[in-house]
Order: sequence, then C-alpha cells, then structure tokens
Amino acid sequence: MKRAPILRGFTLFYLLFLYSPILLLPIFAFNESKVMAFPLQGFTLTWFVEMASDQNLRNAAKNSLIIALSVATLSTVLGIFAARASVRYRFPGKAPLMSMIMLPLVLPEMIVAMALLVVLLSLNIPLSLFTVILGQVLICTPFAVAILTSAFQSLDRSLEEAALDLGETPWSTFRLIILPLVMPGIMASFLICFTISFDEFIIANFLGSGQPILSVYIFGQFRFPAKVPSMLALGTVLVCFSIILLGFAEYMRRRGIAKAGGKDSGGFL
Amino acid sequence: MTFSDDRPTMIEFKDVHKYYGDYHALRGINGSIRAGEFFSLLGPSGCGKTTLLRTIAGFEDISSGVIMIDGKDMVGVAANVRPTNMVFQSYAIFPHMTVEENVGFGLRKDPRSKEDKARAVAEALEMVGLKGFGKRAAHALSGGQRQRVALARALILKPKVLLLDEPLSALDKKMREHMQVELIKLQRQVGITFILVTHDQEEALVMSDRIAVMFEGEIAQLADPETLYRRPATRKVADFIGTMNFIPAEILSESGDAVEVEAKGLGRVALDIAQAPAKTGETPVVGLRPETLTLLYDDQKAPERETDGVIDEVIYFGDMTYYDVYLGGTDVEVRLSMRNVPGRPVLDVGTKVRVAWSPSALVLFR
Repeated sequence: MKRAPILRGFTLFYLLFLYSPILLLPIFAFNESKVMAFPLQGFTLTWFVEMASDQNLRNAAKNSLIIALSVATLSTVLGIFAARASVRYRFPGKAPLMSMIMLPLVLPEMIVAMALLVVLLSLNIPLSLFTVILGQVLICTPFAVAILTSAFQSLDRSLEEAALDLGETPWSTFRLIILPLVMPGIMASFLICFTISFDEFIIANFLGSGQPILSVYIFGQFRFPAKVPSMLALGTVLVCFSIILLGFAEYMRRRGIAKAGGKDSGGFL
Repeated sequence: MTFSDDRPTMIEFKDVHKYYGDYHALRGINGSIRAGEFFSLLGPSGCGKTTLLRTIAGFEDISSGVIMIDGKDMVGVAANVRPTNMVFQSYAIFPHMTVEENVGFGLRKDPRSKEDKARAVAEALEMVGLKGFGKRAAHALSGGQRQRVALARALILKPKVLLLDEPLSALDKKMREHMQVELIKLQRQVGITFILVTHDQEEALVMSDRIAVMFEGEIAQLADPETLYRRPATRKVADFIGTMNFIPAEILSESGDAVEVEAKGLGRVALDIAQAPAKTGETPVVGLRPETLTLLYDDQKAPERETDGVIDEVIYFGDMTYYDVYLGGTDVEVRLSMRNVPGRPVLDVGTKVRVAWSPSALVLFR
C-alpha cells in the first residue's frame, strides 16, 4: 500500500474530532468536581449512585425502553410485510406506494411531529407514550423497509419454489425457509429502529405530553448545573450499552452470513 | 433407443396456452410424455421450454388448455400436492441446513419413524454417490455435489415425474459429460419419468428417449433423437440440431411417393416421400449432414453418387477434419467431416477433390 501522510493525518484528525467529545463523558463522569474542567480532581462513583437513585430518571428510562422496544418491533414487522410485498409481488400502484412508505426518510421530522400533533389533538386523542410510538414508527419504518428489502432481495426465489415443490404450504415455506434466511436482516432492522427510537427527541417532545422520556429528560436536566455530572454518568452508561448492542448485532450478522455460506462484505465492526 | 411405444401415458398436453399480459409464451402445446421415459424439452432461450416445465410443476398457471398428469387434470392443483418434483437450475439447496436436512426436507410430514426416515435419507444419498456427506453444511459443497443433493432431495419422495431445469448448465464440460451418463443410469435405475429442459442439443440427443424441439412457444417436432437428427421436420429444426448443409434445389416433379429435384451442384436426385416432410412454404432446399459426405482418395469409387469439388477451408480437430468444399464448379459450399485415420492425409486448401454422397441421406425442405 502506498503511503499518503496527508490522507492519514486527515483521517486521524477526523476520528479524533468525532470521538474525543464522547471520550470526555466517562472522564468527567468519574471526576469528583461538579464543574467540567481540567485538571481532574480524583476518582468517584458518586454521580453513578446519584443517577441510579433518581426516580424520575428511572421512570424516563423505563418509558424510553417501552417506546423503543415497541417501535422496533412494530417497524420491523411492518417492514417485513412491505419488503416482502415489494420484492416478491407485482401490483398496481406499487412504485408510488413504496415511495410514500419511504418518504418520511427525507421529510423533516419537525413537520411530521407538528402534523401528527394537530391531527391527534383535533381527533381528541390524548397524548401518551402510545402517540409517541405511533409517530416514531412512521419515522423508523422506512429504515426497516430499506434494510429488509435488501435481505429479501438476496434470497433466491427458487428456494421458495423448492420448498413448495417438496410439499410445504406457502406459510410453512415462509416459516422454515424464508424467515431463517432473512433473520440477520430482521435483527439488523430491529436494532437500528431501537437505536433511532431511543435517542429520538422531536416526536418524543411533541407527542409525549410531558411524560418523562429519556431524551427529553436529559435535555431538561442540562438546565441545572448540579445535575450535569449525573447526566454524564448516564451518558457513559448509554455509550457502553450502545457498544454492547452493536457488538451483538455484528455477531448475529456474521453468524447469519456464515450459516448461509455467504461471503462477508461490509458490516459495522 | 430401444424404447417401446406401448408404455402408458404419464403427461398429456391438450392445446396448452400461456399468456404473460400480451406475450404469448405457449402457443397451443399438444403431445404426450410416456411413463418411465427420459423426455427432453429442447430449444433456444425464450422458446417456452422452461415455462412449459413450470406449468407441469405447478409454478405457473396455464391460460387455457389441459395438462393431465397420470390421468388427472392438473388445473387448480397446487405445486405442493402435485406428483412431481423438480431439480432447479440453481439447485436451490437450502443454505441454512445440512445435506441430510436438505435431502430429508420433503419427508417432514411423512408419518414414518425417525429411524426409517434417516435410513431413507442415507439410501438417497448413496444412490447419488454422496454416502457419508449427510452431516456436511450445504454451503460447503461443490457444484456437482449440490446437484446430487438436489437430485436426492427430489427423488426421495418417489415422484411420478422428475423435472430437471437445465441441471447441467452450471457445470464445467468434463463434469457435465460425466453427469449426463450418471443421470441416464439413475433414470434407468429408478424408472421414474424424467423431463429435462435444455438448450444444448447434444445433451438432449445423448440423454433422451424422445425430444420435443420448441421454437417461439410451439413444439416444432417431437421425436426420438435419431429421427430428429436424420429426418428433421423443418429447416429450423435441422439447423438447430447439429450441423446441416442446405443446398438450393428446384422441384422437378412430385408424384405420390416420389419427388424429383434438381439440387445445385449435385444434379438430379430422386427422393422418397419420407425424405420430404410436410410443406411449410419455404424456398426449396435439400439438407445434408456433414458426415454423410465423404472425400474420395486416389482411385476410390463412390458407392452411389459423386460430385467434383474444390476445398475452400480446412478445419482440423485432431480426431476429425472439417472441409468446406465448393461443389461442381458452383458457389454452393458444403461442410463435410472426415475421420483422421492413418494413411489419410489432411488435404490443403485449393485441392480438387471428388465428394461421394448418397441420395437417401438427403432431406428436402420446401
């Protein structure tokens, strides 16, 4: 490989710029001082204890988990239907229908949130976690469809026909052949939707009606300087959580590819 | 080619049509396939041969007509309950299963005990020469092995008809020739009706009891390989199967069981009516296979007829040499093949030669 010092330097700078702020989180989360400033003043776990004992925070985390799990499940299920239909069947109006499903991907989230708020209020539907889930499913489904479409596309059509030919019904064919082979795609879709939902702010703020939701709660806490260190502790926990999640997703993806005998190309890690 | 004509009919087509929107893919297919026969659907790509196979399997509905399998009308019968099994062009081996699981897949609803099923799987694997491969992962197999797994998986269900969709096209030449012989042996062993789709005329000739040659959604000729080769029904069939020289001809007279023609470069020839298939309205030509023409060396005499010629091109193949020869001072060029036996030198371009031929080898297309 050729040496290119400028490109190498640029890459290093880019990565540093990207990740060093995140690295500051754990550094200050374990720092004794309430102020985020060097020099560091000694190691402490106080902020983690304070975080864990914050009842509101625990509520917010619980709500966020409920929302993220629901959104990931719903979006992925909807994504399976849409992706399967778009890859496998031809029907009138398919192209405009698929573009409409994908549209929220490029639509400003602000507009989606405002529009939904107006509609929900005029329909007298009370704002709750449920309305947040509804709004976030709208945002996440396009991601699920995009991931799952490529999973379904890489499936050889004659595998299905072979299963039918060997006496299986369309449903048992789906269960025994299609589902196991697109499982890595389903896992990927679930994890991505979970992540998107978990740190989503605009819809959570607009449609949450003041219910504690993690992203909104964190934003609110930053107004109080005394709360900042425990938020940094929370951030540290979330970073660790993300890394574990990503590692798991990558493990599942590689196992899926190895199982199907495919060639590994790309991936996250 | 000792196939007896008295076997019962396994599959029957009656005026089968298939449309994809405006596209007329099958245009009135008629004919029958007999039980225990090795039958081939042969034709160029897009001729409808795969579509016809898929209508037998039940993957495609037909627009009109009747397909009977073993005396039962198949309209409305789904693929998963038809007495047919298929070997796919891509083999369609389930990648997330072992060889054993693949082969035994069709036995899932079989009421037999686990041990009996395992024995059936082992037998099927042995039959296709994959004994001891059961525990391997399906994706770790070579192309030839995948094909064998696909065969075992289809045959384990003892179907009435085995459908093979270009099963050898993904293999290299050596492996293909090897598998051709294996498939013929296997078919004789199990006695099941095999229907093979192929675009390779050589493969069809080698393997089949009978062949249906298809062009543009129609069967152009349905016959045994020898008839197909020696007495093609149309010029198109003759051109598709092997090599054939076409020589412009003029019909001088036609009466009952004899046709007399004047073939350019060959002269006047009297033909039996069996050498002249039904009229199709083409410009008359006579066809001659390269191996029915022979170069005469030194003072050899032609057993029947001979014609002078000049060698225009020499194509050396090792065991054979192909010569392109201008006939009798005309612009009619024919290709002929000679075996390279000892004492028979390969001749040069421009050599004046005598060509022996037999009127009975001619076919008239008109």
